[in-house]
Amino acid sequence: MEAILDGFKKAIELLFSLDAEIYHIILLSIFVSLASTLISTLFAVPIGIIVGTKNFPLKRLVVRFIYTMMSLPPVIVGLVVFLFIARRGPFGYLGIVFTPTAMIIAQIILVTPIITGIVYNGTKEKGEEIKRLAKTLGANRLETLFLLIKELRINIFTGIVSGYGRAISEVGAVMIVGGNIRGHTRVMTTAIAMLRNQGDYAMAIAIGLVLLFLSFIINSLLYNFQQGD
Amino acid sequence: MMNLTIKNLTKYYNKQCVLSIDAFTIERSSFLGIIGPNGAGKSTLVKMLAGLETPSSGEILYEKSLISPPIYKSMTMVFQKPYLLRTSVFNNIAYPLKIRKLNPKAIDKKVNHLIVEMGIESIKNQNAWTLSGGEAQKVALARAIIFEPALLILDEPTANIDPASILTMEKTINKFYQQSAPSIIIVTHNIQQAKRLCKEIAFMHQGKIVEFGKSSDMIHHPSNPLTKNFIEGEIIL
Repeated sequence: MEAILDGFKKAIELLFSLDAEIYHIILLSIFVSLASTLISTLFAVPIGIIVGTKNFPLKRLVVRFIYTMMSLPPVIVGLVVFLFIARRGPFGYLGIVFTPTAMIIAQIILVTPIITGIVYNGTKEKGEEIKRLAKTLGANRLETLFLLIKELRINIFTGIVSGYGRAISEVGAVMIVGGNIRGHTRVMTTAIAMLRNQGDYAMAIAIGLVLLFLSFIINSLLYNFQQGD
Repeated sequence: MMNLTIKNLTKYYNKQCVLSIDAFTIERSSFLGIIGPNGAGKSTLVKMLAGLETPSSGEILYEKSLISPPIYKSMTMVFQKPYLLRTSVFNNIAYPLKIRKLNPKAIDKKVNHLIVEMGIESIKNQNAWTLSGGEAQKVALARAIIFEPALLILDEPTANIDPASILTMEKTINKFYQQSAPSIIIVTHNIQQAKRLCKEIAFMHQGKIVEFGKSSDMIHHPSNPLTKNFIEGEIIL
């Protein structure tokens, strides 16, 4: 209990400490999570809409694959990405292992299926009706796509919020591909894991509370954006 | 107004023929009612006319042309359960004008005029997803006629709505017909409604147009026993 109370105190101190290292950890966490969520959204939303509205061979298999990917274990993703980008791996020449870029790539792999699956579910339910309406009102393909995105915005934002939630709270994959290097790839989740190993529970809880607070702020912003028309 | 020609049109679902029409013409500025029992192929026919279903064989010609984007732009369809956009009533009605690139002032004027005409000012700014069945149908109809389509297809637009709303809907449809002289096709189970609105009626049974004629003749002196049974309220299996 003492550790938790200490954590609260330290969380407030941390936010106002102006400690460069802490701010770097917080900003890097936000940057990596937002970047991976944003890039995933660009792929996942069109894929979810296409799978939800088009009929094609092996569609059921594709849907099952998306659902399976939604529950991918982060450490497995981290390991596979690491093997690909490690110095001796096929993409080792890129030199991105233990960099924020590697962390973003790993998170994109984790987040994309989540957004795709949620958008697919919404599209499956209402997509045909929206497409039919667009057609009967004379909308062209681009206008139909915009209408689908606008009408499915609640599903899309739910997908984005869920994807962001996965990204910001993720530890296994970013630990493997980022390496938790101080001042370089250390994010809040990897810092918490490290502090726990060092027995600094109060500091770990403090960073955890900051993480929770930031998640609340970003989710609130997304929620307000979703509600606005 | 639009002329439609149907040639050797068939539709099969799972190898079962649900529609088979050898030849049928819908003249410009027609007001055609399609009646018939459930499963007669009425909805399949109008969905094909609206370009929402592909024929298994045969063709539909719109002013001697096959369906194309400009034809889609000049016709529309209202469903029994319409989909309304997740936005205000005003924006729902304005949508067809926006995609036709009308300037905002003209859109504002046209939409407001129609809203007043249909007596739906009180719900103008309401979210369309919160409307009652009757209100939703009125909005769907307003959205369909706002761009003055040459062909208006209505698939049981007044089923399951209150009598007052039916009256408003019928008045609006009639006024639109008188003012713009489009071709209108309405699927209805309501014989009295067909009599009130339509100039001609086609009776469908088992995927075929069994009888076609002027609405008063069809209702008062049907020549086909199936039509007679249907009009007199007998159940046709």
